[in-house]
Amino acid sequence: MAFRIRTGYEGDLSLFKTKQSVISYGALLLALVVAPFLLGSYFLSQIVFVLIYTIVGIGLVLLSGYAGQTSIGHAAFLAIGAYTAANAAKFGVPIYIYLPAAGLLTGLVGWLVGLPALRLHGIYLAIATFAFALIVEEILARWETVTNGNEGMMVKPAAVFGERLGEWGLYYLCIAVTIFVIVIAVNVIRSPTGRAFLALRDSETAARSMGVDSARYKTFAFALSAGMTGLAGVLYAHKLSFISPEMFTLALSIEFVMIIIIGGIASLRGAALGAIFMIMVDPVLVLIKDKLPGLIGAVTGSAMVQDKASVLLAAPGVKSLIFGLIIIFFIIYEPMGLDGRWMKVKTWFKLFPFYKPATFRRQKMYLKSERGR
Amino acid sequence: MKRLALALGVSVATGALVASPAFAQFKTQGVSDTEIVVGTHMDLSGPIKSWGIPASNGAKLAVAQINAAGGVNGRKIRYILEDDGYDPKKAVLATQKLIELDKVFSILSPMGSATTLAPLPIVQAAGITNLFSITAAEFTYAMDPKKPEDRLKFNIFSPYYDQARTGIKYLIETKKPKKACIIYQDDEMGKNFTDAYKDQLKAMNIEQGTMVSFKRGATDFSSQVARLKADGCDFVSLGSVTRESVGILTVATKSDYKPTWIAFSPTYVPDVVDLGKEMAEGLYGVGQLEIFYEDTATGKVKQYIEDYKKMFGVAPNLQTTTGYNGMQAFAHYAAQCGKALTTDCLIDKMETGTPFQDIFGQAPVRFSKTNHLGSEELLIAQVQKGRWKAIATHQKYK
Repeated sequence: MAFRIRTGYEGDLSLFKTKQSVISYGALLLALVVAPFLLGSYFLSQIVFVLIYTIVGIGLVLLSGYAGQTSIGHAAFLAIGAYTAANAAKFGVPIYIYLPAAGLLTGLVGWLVGLPALRLHGIYLAIATFAFALIVEEILARWETVTNGNEGMMVKPAAVFGERLGEWGLYYLCIAVTIFVIVIAVNVIRSPTGRAFLALRDSETAARSMGVDSARYKTFAFALSAGMTGLAGVLYAHKLSFISPEMFTLALSIEFVMIIIIGGIASLRGAALGAIFMIMVDPVLVLIKDKLPGLIGAVTGSAMVQDKASVLLAAPGVKSLIFGLIIIFFIIYEPMGLDGRWMKVKTWFKLFPFYKPATFRRQKMYLKSERGR
Repeated sequence: MKRLALALGVSVATGALVASPAFAQFKTQGVSDTEIVVGTHMDLSGPIKSWGIPASNGAKLAVAQINAAGGVNGRKIRYILEDDGYDPKKAVLATQKLIELDKVFSILSPMGSATTLAPLPIVQAAGITNLFSITAAEFTYAMDPKKPEDRLKFNIFSPYYDQARTGIKYLIETKKPKKACIIYQDDEMGKNFTDAYKDQLKAMNIEQGTMVSFKRGATDFSSQVARLKADGCDFVSLGSVTRESVGILTVATKSDYKPTWIAFSPTYVPDVVDLGKEMAEGLYGVGQLEIFYEDTATGKVKQYIEDYKKMFGVAPNLQTTTGYNGMQAFAHYAAQCGKALTTDCLIDKMETGTPFQDIFGQAPVRFSKTNHLGSEELLIAQVQKGRWKAIATHQKYK
């Protein structure tokens, strides 16, 4: 195990804890920057969706993982961001104005939604956010002058200085926004605000008796999370180039919650891993559906087996079944999510050959927050 | 940190400079000496899978028949089907996969409005055709003369608006009702119907009657029906889907209210008769093709039912014809290009206006340089003795 020895304040202030992490994240950024030169637009699109989901995931990690507030209404925040972008683009507003504006507007709405959160907990809060999402969905369908109702509306391509952002432009914009959101999240978590979030999550009574203003921090958590989701909404609208109310339903909100459940509920890296999982599983399963029968045929040497396999894999619902099984598997065997698995694998290599499964087993749990560590 | 910000700024700026490319030429891919690859995405696992599965089965049957008969000028059709789960995000990815990895010649019969519209710019930028989307939305065939890529869109499904105007026109002319009214579901579909209702009455110089609405998923229609009855409506358009239509007819029968009812494609299905029984008797319907029944079908339709049952083990429904007709129409026009099948050639051949006649007795599909909606003629049917029966064909409102 490497131990950090701090010799000055810079070590505490820097975003990266070790040299290795600077190198590995730098390599990741470099890979993302050169990706368009190497990959086709199919794979680029997947990365864009992963980045958008990562932004939403980080918003949810801050809200649920750190501040301990549940929300199954995040699709509504995404919708507000998306419709703000669509309307602003319609009137020719440049994206560098409406992207932050959409974030602020959604943040404001998130703050308002956070107000009932002061009085509600757990499942009741979840229901309140769900009700909010339904209200937003209904408004989108009814407010036809702005949203064009159920017919949906086309989103004009994003423009900067009169120049249209192409596929690559949008891709780099997504990277920039994702990094911006991550930097904000990292700094919030290690600031007094982040510590207040943790305190509120673990014991509101204890936090309040220590002087934490619970109303202020809870609403702030909602505003911050919603604002990030609003930014993602702008990117989502431009990526799809068409939005309609039926795209922002409960199913999408549940998908967002699944990002952090699969990724690891109190981990920013988990949000990214969860987003990768949610987006990539489908294309990978499609690839399996296309390639596996041929492979089976080659191995067994029988055309009949190959036909049977392709019929079976192409049957409707098989993909959903595999997807469901993977999720059940994760919840039972890896409750800490993909991030937990990542840490275990890393530790296994670090400690080889001395790794013990008990390393990650808590002997005693004093606080709820330790489950997230 | 500063360096990071700088690097970001530079990368965003370079990204901005790479503006989206201007529209390129139509592209031909997926055609080899032995096969033509066509792809589609439909909902096979989501909310409208009751459409996606039969429609894709219909297309598979058409592919099997075309290939068994020697293919299109010796080229076999390879049909690649993706599941989009009625999610536009998945539809975008599926479309890009079909275009880039499978190199499809055409996107054929994608399903749903949002799931077709979101990937449409990608299809057009790739310069390949987007044919016969299974949705009646206008964008699937509307053309902007300034955009050459709009020539890549074709459709053969009649919009709700056209159906409603055609049906209302026919019944007002033949039945001469005193007061024409409408009951509609309060959503986008209902709006299409009410727009058509208003426009058609205006065009015929008839005063508007009562318009009553209900919410999606409603089960009680007594107040709406009571109002229609009290206002003396003797002709009512049903802007509703099967289940609600049956609910409305049930309430009306109970209160002994018997106006002339007309329904459009969401209700013009065999199920409405199965569910409504004698209450559906006399109901008028507007659709594109005559609903077929296993025991009375003859000729090619009978053969179709038998082949479908052999392949999938169940009897085909109306939805299967959407996928079947799309594939057959594609093969019909692709065959006219002979060995030199290209996207340009396919579009040219379709725009020449040669008709495509399906096996179900639908009005022939015809396109032109200015009109990419192939079907403008509809048929009017009526429930007679528990079965839908066509009473007038080749109807249009224009």
